[in-house]
Amino acid sequence: MIEGARWRKWVFFYVPMVLFLLFLLFPFYWMVITSVRPDGELYRPWNSINYNPFWTWKPTWEHVRYLFEETLFASWLWNTTFIALASTAISLVCGVFAGYALSRLNFPFAGSLGTAIFITYLVPQTLLFIPLAEIIRNYRLGDTPWSLILTYPTFLIPFCTWLMMGYFKAVPKELEECARIDGASRWQAMLYIVIPVAIPGILSAGIFAFTLSWNEFIYALVFLSSPEQKTVPVGVTSELIRGDVFYWGPLMAGALLGSIPVAIAYSFFVEHYVAGLTGSVKG
Amino acid sequence: MAISAVSDTTLREAPPPRRQRLLEDERWLAFVLLVPTIVLLGMFIAYPFMRGILLSVTSSRVGIPGDFVGLANFYKIFNDGIFRTSVYNTFLYTGVTTVFKLALGLWLAMLLNRNFRGKAFTRAFILLPFIIPTVLSTFAWKWMFDPTFSVLNWLLYHFGLITGRINWLGDPDLAMISIIIVNIWRGVPFFAISLLAGLQTISPELNEAAAIDGAKPWQRFWHITWPLLLPVTMVVVLFSVIQTFADFQIVYVMTGGGPANATHLFATYAYQIAIGTGLLSEGAAIALAMFPILFLVVIIQLLYIRRVEVR
Amino acid sequence: MTTVTRRNVLKSGAALAGGMAGILATGRAPAFAQGTTVHWLRWTDFVPASDQLLRNEIAKEGEKALGIKLNIETINANDIQARVTSAIQSGSGPDVVCVLNNWGQLYGESVIDVSNIAEELGKGQGGFYETSRAVANDGKKWIAVPWCIVGLQIAYRKSWFAEIGYTDGKFPQTWEEYREAGKKLKAKGRPIGQTLGHTFGDAPAFAYPYLWSWGGKEVEADGKTVALNSPATVEAVKFMVAFWKDAHDEGGLAWDDSNNNRAFLSGTCSATLNGASIYIEALRKPDTYKTEAGGPLKDDILHAALPKGPGGQFSYHVPFSNLLMGYSKNQDAAKKFLGWIHSKDVYDKWFVSQKGFSVGPTTDWEKHKLWGDDPIMLPYKQAARTGRFAGYEGPSTRKAAEVVTKYVIVDMYAKAVQGMPPEDAVKWAEAELKKVYV
Repeated sequence: MIEGARWRKWVFFYVPMVLFLLFLLFPFYWMVITSVRPDGELYRPWNSINYNPFWTWKPTWEHVRYLFEETLFASWLWNTTFIALASTAISLVCGVFAGYALSRLNFPFAGSLGTAIFITYLVPQTLLFIPLAEIIRNYRLGDTPWSLILTYPTFLIPFCTWLMMGYFKAVPKELEECARIDGASRWQAMLYIVIPVAIPGILSAGIFAFTLSWNEFIYALVFLSSPEQKTVPVGVTSELIRGDVFYWGPLMAGALLGSIPVAIAYSFFVEHYVAGLTGSVKG
Repeated sequence: MAISAVSDTTLREAPPPRRQRLLEDERWLAFVLLVPTIVLLGMFIAYPFMRGILLSVTSSRVGIPGDFVGLANFYKIFNDGIFRTSVYNTFLYTGVTTVFKLALGLWLAMLLNRNFRGKAFTRAFILLPFIIPTVLSTFAWKWMFDPTFSVLNWLLYHFGLITGRINWLGDPDLAMISIIIVNIWRGVPFFAISLLAGLQTISPELNEAAAIDGAKPWQRFWHITWPLLLPVTMVVVLFSVIQTFADFQIVYVMTGGGPANATHLFATYAYQIAIGTGLLSEGAAIALAMFPILFLVVIIQLLYIRRVEVR
Repeated sequence: MTTVTRRNVLKSGAALAGGMAGILATGRAPAFAQGTTVHWLRWTDFVPASDQLLRNEIAKEGEKALGIKLNIETINANDIQARVTSAIQSGSGPDVVCVLNNWGQLYGESVIDVSNIAEELGKGQGGFYETSRAVANDGKKWIAVPWCIVGLQIAYRKSWFAEIGYTDGKFPQTWEEYREAGKKLKAKGRPIGQTLGHTFGDAPAFAYPYLWSWGGKEVEADGKTVALNSPATVEAVKFMVAFWKDAHDEGGLAWDDSNNNRAFLSGTCSATLNGASIYIEALRKPDTYKTEAGGPLKDDILHAALPKGPGGQFSYHVPFSNLLMGYSKNQDAAKKFLGWIHSKDVYDKWFVSQKGFSVGPTTDWEKHKLWGDDPIMLPYKQAARTGRFAGYEGPSTRKAAEVVTKYVIVDMYAKAVQGMPPEDAVKWAEAELKKVYV
């Protein structure tokens, strides 16, 4: 893409890229090193002599072992995955449909409805969780994954809807009209023509919906109570902060092990949608 | 569950002719498509939101319903110095982080849009800051900023940039800068990947054609890429602004609003008052006070998006 | 007594007496519906063994003795309030919640009167400490059953203090002396560590007794008239500013409850006010925590009370108390459970597992043989006796709890330390107090 001398590629590509990677990934390196560092080294102030914060000569699996043997980390991981997948699926279906309707169909109150969906996103979660707890009780969802699967979409749908509206708008009207002239119904045109074109959008909305549910803390804290039902963020902070002592090693190991699998899964996705994409847009 | 059932039926029963004719009508189709969303949001947002508003005009405390007091809570918080600080902080926090996140995110997206080895890997791994549960990553940052253990101080010291230590979280201004850094760190991947997806919907032919006509890279960006990217950008910015405005976890974990309330945001202050101190109605009033402000910001952005789209 | 039924117990109201006597008389568990569960929410204890003990041994015994299944949930102490609030507002959640500080006063309207159990406990075990009583009694009735008190003392480095003249384990007796000592230590890069941040334990536990020891107080004895802005308070704040600069680690403004533990264990601070967790942790891992000379850190730690001021010598310890929630559908069972777990034999097991990190809610536990085990822990034994609680000189009401949770007193010092003139910091805090005590 960059034409001209080699140094240009260095200045405009490699150097900024490396800086970005350093900034974005440094904390992870820090977590990795913390989770394999023996406790004795963890308790060294920054200015102590001969201290190298970036390396350890005595790596230990103790923290990871603790995480899996002394806590229910494996169950938390599974719960989080299940809850995040289910709420993402629900939000995507809702978001894609609603996004399509709001961006490509003419009907009364379309604008105000779009705004109304949007406004729900403005309501701060710190305000919502108390009255929501009441609803969760009324539907008898407390301490089940459904309490989260059904409440997470409340902040995911507005997001998905609006992101999808953006993507749908970028799809040329002619594409759909051609299909309709060829005899496709509206429903079919949407399902087979417009939605496939918007797959990158759907994927990125999906990635974000998944991530937001993966990260969520306060609902998970309030609606779940059994240790084996908890999600990773809540489980890890409940079990590894003991009074006034943090179990730094396992805490960081939990954070890492709770996010690297997702990153690997994303690496497949990202490649997939990049490849499948170019063709669909050109059509 | 009810929701997925609805969508399943519509999917399965779409083919029959009569239904199909109904679905040919734009209004009906729109209705069918919007039902799941409306049901879900109606069930889980409408009521709590109304309750929140009602709370804010009562004198309710934890376990005590309280009486109607009109706007007394709002009057009280507007005369509250800590509240004013948190309003200022929230604006500063949102403004600064959004500018940085957009600029860095766009830059990163352009870089990632190129072909290079390890592209998929890089694209996935730069998402890590966004994937990792915020509470936990903030703990890691908290340690990196810790006055006694800061690895950042170690780095700066060994590069010869400082001689003593920097008291990152203990100084009001530095504490604010610290939480801003963490937010930017967390938010850049979100911008980058969204904008990358946007960039990829732009046909490369457009750029190629312009290049043949002799347009410089900067001109091509400004006249082709940026306008086409604008709708997605606006939506991403919009959502980021909203999220940042209501941000809670970073401050809650890093400083708890301290030192001496210097880093409170709307959400953390509302939480401290409502949950910590048990003054539910006042907490609700604080949380709601950000609503009209946020609403205004959002309306301006929405109007701008409309204008962009009309053009 | 053999025909004791749930209704009888309820009617007499003497859940503890009736319940315990009933069990003793009949020799079997009372007739609870099969599968009655009591859900108990607690903090994740600093001592892991105590949580293990409760979950395994005590839960099993409880099921055998009472026929009640015990469901113990532990979470990070910081998040307990969020759980309690949503539970109260939605009317469902844990049956019993173990809260810290005087949080119980915030929830007084939503809990069951447990006067019977508490009074029985106080009478039977030597009387409550003032701290226990202040946070669990609203002046008319007991809103909670005091569970324990986590004592706070200054942990300090024996050898470092010896170097500056405090040999044989002596420790500065007054604030002036402490400041002088701290000044010398800080000059050697060994400052005193103290948090002035927004954190539930160590921050108020220092800020309040410090204020009292200078003669300052929040309110008059009527519990209404704000009396903070006094020459004594201004004096205290002024001294604090200089004290901070001379003797403290200035990073302390950002500390939470865990930072001073880490700083002390890593050898960067010479003294800090804390629960016994620093010492117990050092005791647990002698190979991990070393002094700069290479010896185990545990042998270089001693404990002392906060120094005296012109107004006297005080302390603030973090009390824990169990709330029996009003919405609970298992109130009888929960009352039984509370009575049972406080009975001497059962509580003893838990108490022992704490190794002195917690003292009992009543004075009888000072006589426990556990205190003979380790002379280093001895200062904690009677520490709770000098304990006052937030709200002084008034009662420790809901208002006082609001002040604690808003960190007004803590922030008063933090502001002054950051450069606000002491008089203004006190005025600011006074204004905040007046908003609470309307």
